[in-house]
Amino acid sequence: MGPHGSAAGERSDSFVESHKGYDPRIILFYFILAALLGTLGAGLAYRQLANVGKYADAERQQNQRRVLFPGPRGNIYDRHGQLLVGNNHRFAVLLHLDELKTELIAEQSRIRRNFVAAVEKKDVPGFSQLRQIARVTLVQRYLDQVNKILGRDEKVNAAELGRHFDRQLLLPYTLVDDLSGPDFARLIEGLPVRSPLEVYASNIRQYPFNGAAAHTLGYVRPDNEVEADGFPGEDLTTFKMKGTSGRDGLEKMFDAQLQGEAGGRIYRVDPTGFKINPPLESRSPKQGKHLVTSLDIDLQLVAEEAIGDQIGAAIAIDVPTGEVLVLASMPNYNLNDWYPRMLPETYRKIQERGAEFNYAVNGRFPPGSTYKILTSIAGLRAGVLKPDESIIYCDSVLRRFNGRFVCYNGREHHQEILLTEAIAQSCDIYYYEAGWRTTPERLAAESRRFHLDVPTGIELPERGKSIIPDPEWKLRERGEKWFPGDTANMSIGQGFVWVSPLQMACFTASVARNEIFTQPTLIHDPDRPRQRHESIGLTPDQRKAILDGMEGCVTHGTAKTINAIAELRIPGINILGKTGTAQIPGKRNVAWFIAFAPRENPQIAMAVALEGDTPGEEYGGGRNAAPIAAAVMKRFFEKRANPGRTVVAPIRSE
Amino acid sequence: MPFKRFDQNRPFLTLALVALVWVLLPTVVKSWGRASFFELTAPITLAVSRVRDLQDFWALRLRPKTELIEAGRDLARLNASYEFAVQQNLELQAEIARLEGVLRLPSYTEYRYEHARVARRDFSGWWQQIVIRKGRNFGIPVGAPVVFSGGVVGRVTEVHATAAIVELISSQTVKVAGVVEGDTRPLSFQGGVNPTFAPPTGIVEFVPLDIIVGPNATKRLITSGFGGVFPPGLTLGTIVRVESGSDGLFKSGTVRLDERLGSLTEVTVLVPVGQP
Repeated sequence: MGPHGSAAGERSDSFVESHKGYDPRIILFYFILAALLGTLGAGLAYRQLANVGKYADAERQQNQRRVLFPGPRGNIYDRHGQLLVGNNHRFAVLLHLDELKTELIAEQSRIRRNFVAAVEKKDVPGFSQLRQIARVTLVQRYLDQVNKILGRDEKVNAAELGRHFDRQLLLPYTLVDDLSGPDFARLIEGLPVRSPLEVYASNIRQYPFNGAAAHTLGYVRPDNEVEADGFPGEDLTTFKMKGTSGRDGLEKMFDAQLQGEAGGRIYRVDPTGFKINPPLESRSPKQGKHLVTSLDIDLQLVAEEAIGDQIGAAIAIDVPTGEVLVLASMPNYNLNDWYPRMLPETYRKIQERGAEFNYAVNGRFPPGSTYKILTSIAGLRAGVLKPDESIIYCDSVLRRFNGRFVCYNGREHHQEILLTEAIAQSCDIYYYEAGWRTTPERLAAESRRFHLDVPTGIELPERGKSIIPDPEWKLRERGEKWFPGDTANMSIGQGFVWVSPLQMACFTASVARNEIFTQPTLIHDPDRPRQRHESIGLTPDQRKAILDGMEGCVTHGTAKTINAIAELRIPGINILGKTGTAQIPGKRNVAWFIAFAPRENPQIAMAVALEGDTPGEEYGGGRNAAPIAAAVMKRFFEKRANPGRTVVAPIRSE
Repeated sequence: MPFKRFDQNRPFLTLALVALVWVLLPTVVKSWGRASFFELTAPITLAVSRVRDLQDFWALRLRPKTELIEAGRDLARLNASYEFAVQQNLELQAEIARLEGVLRLPSYTEYRYEHARVARRDFSGWWQQIVIRKGRNFGIPVGAPVVFSGGVVGRVTEVHATAAIVELISSQTVKVAGVVEGDTRPLSFQGGVNPTFAPPTGIVEFVPLDIIVGPNATKRLITSGFGGVFPPGLTLGTIVRVESGSDGLFKSGTVRLDERLGSLTEVTVLVPVGQP
């Protein structure tokens, strides 16, 4: 070894660290290191294995969006399959904002460059301002494409667009929503096929018969309550396209059945919220269930036309089943006015006319002399009236209980009158006496037995409260005792007795079947069995007396008008009816007519109530209400005779 | 060694360089390049088409005389029947003019007809196009409707100096507003997914619910005339099947198109009067 080698060896000894073998102190660091690594590993395992579900959910919620769109509502038909409520289209042009991401970025950059070139740096708008300008500019550019094709000059609503971008980016933005058929055709041929613009048909409710049965059918209004049962992703951020929900009538009462099954899509989105196609999940919407009502639109139109400009209601019931054939309330309004939106001026006019009110179901009026049928039944059942017994002499005025009781139908002095003629001629004095003999408690009990004090249970919103008074009611409600005059009023359906036209129609159907109750229904079931309830409990002679009286009412009594007018006569069919003219103190008359036909095996029962539109004007059941019932019944029996001729043409809107 | 490695990769580098240059080129230059390329190759396409015609001509010249005599006789008969049809058409036109006069309808003169020979057919799953032997030189504009004896062919999508490209209605990128014959409600027709040798089909949407179509009750689909491109009453195809859509508002279905779309040799361009 030379001197150099020796020097190198020295350097090595003095400066180069060399391994000296095993050092027990390092074991400690092994443990520390292992513990640290173990902690890291455990933490990693905890997050990656134990919390995998949690983080997967978080990732899913952050990256996925759910879009729900409603299914079309089911249709509503009449009992013969005539469409009463359906769906119609309304063409619109939609812009899929979520497909504009690249264009938006480019537009924003371009606008920024223009600002930078034109103004000082401090005057260049901020990011959010630039973004909004770019959005409006770009969307307006697409709208201009549509404007050019349609020859319009539509402008983008900047505030609305900004809200849509921020809250409903995945839902298309409606540019124009009132396209006609030719507009639709022009856009189909004019717009590029591969474009974020889409010609779309939205769903609106359509009523082919405009205002017919308006209160029964009801209407729908837009809402955001679209639910997609069974569609996954309930925990995801969800965008809902507007659906509809029933707000009145059958549309409201059967909303759950009519609602379609919503469709949906789940998209993956990028960090800025723009969707990445194709959708991860997709389900098509399904139309809701159809509803077949018991209404006969043909009869309904006859009733509404017969009522015309008058205020009131007409109800027809299929006697065996209780299915409601006609439920007319006038004035009505065109249900199509609700779509796409009700104009304030139109709504104001509807309210001014009182056209929103359903007189048939929710109107409450004194039933007038139609109530005499119930008084007769109560008296006969109580044994205080007999068909062959004249209980009083009608001299048009009766002085009793220090009072003067007038027979309003007794200009000809009914004199000694039996029950049958008392019904036919509607002798008030006979019924004053009948009421006193029967007592108000029995009259009220009989009314309750016929369910006149409770809602009918029809499948419609029933508002208002009927009144069947008795002494206890008067004391409780008015703090006054009952007077004989109250009984007299009650026995002729005046005073405190208030019922709805539908209740009187049910009462009439019950009398026709000789039972105490009729459950009305608006749902048609071709296999629906005949209703069976407790019998009224009259002897055959008693029933015959009442039916003879009702028949006499039409043939020669207070409703003889309908027998005198040739157009209203129904060959081979005898109508049994009872008129009524109720006076509401300080208000207008209400003209009533209840009827059923034929006498044997009754098929149809009706109640008509018309409110006089001029205070003090004579408004009589025989003159005003009976012809309406006769017109409906005539059409009913014509259809029975010619069952094939029932096609009714929808009313075309101008 | 490095030089050799570069030498081996030269084609890739060249390709990358060309791609980079293409990407960096302004859009105007690219569009100009594409148009120029078509203009450069169009004469070749047209020449091929004319050579094919010449080839057919000489093929016919080689036929025996008896065959030509027979063909001449058939042609004479055909001409006679056409002359008769022409006379009938003249009478019908006169009747139409008379009725239009009675009803005070304006005469139908929105288009002039430009007949053109098909130079090339270009069919794929993505597009269905034909190249016709007339272009700007005959005043054909972009968007003009193109028809043949069987109905609508398509729309002119590109116009060059001596040729034009027509997108067929069997192509997915063509939409037409049609109506079912006898109906007035417009619906949307769009070309379907048509493989190269498959019979052409289209799809129809926004079909009203009361339009019933079955295997034995097909419906003829014609142009509505509302769209502003095609005149009304031209045949688009036959609706052979419809099914209710999920929205409950409309049906959608399949349209069978004329199979001759795939073998057209002559078409007519409807050039809107008043357009250059």
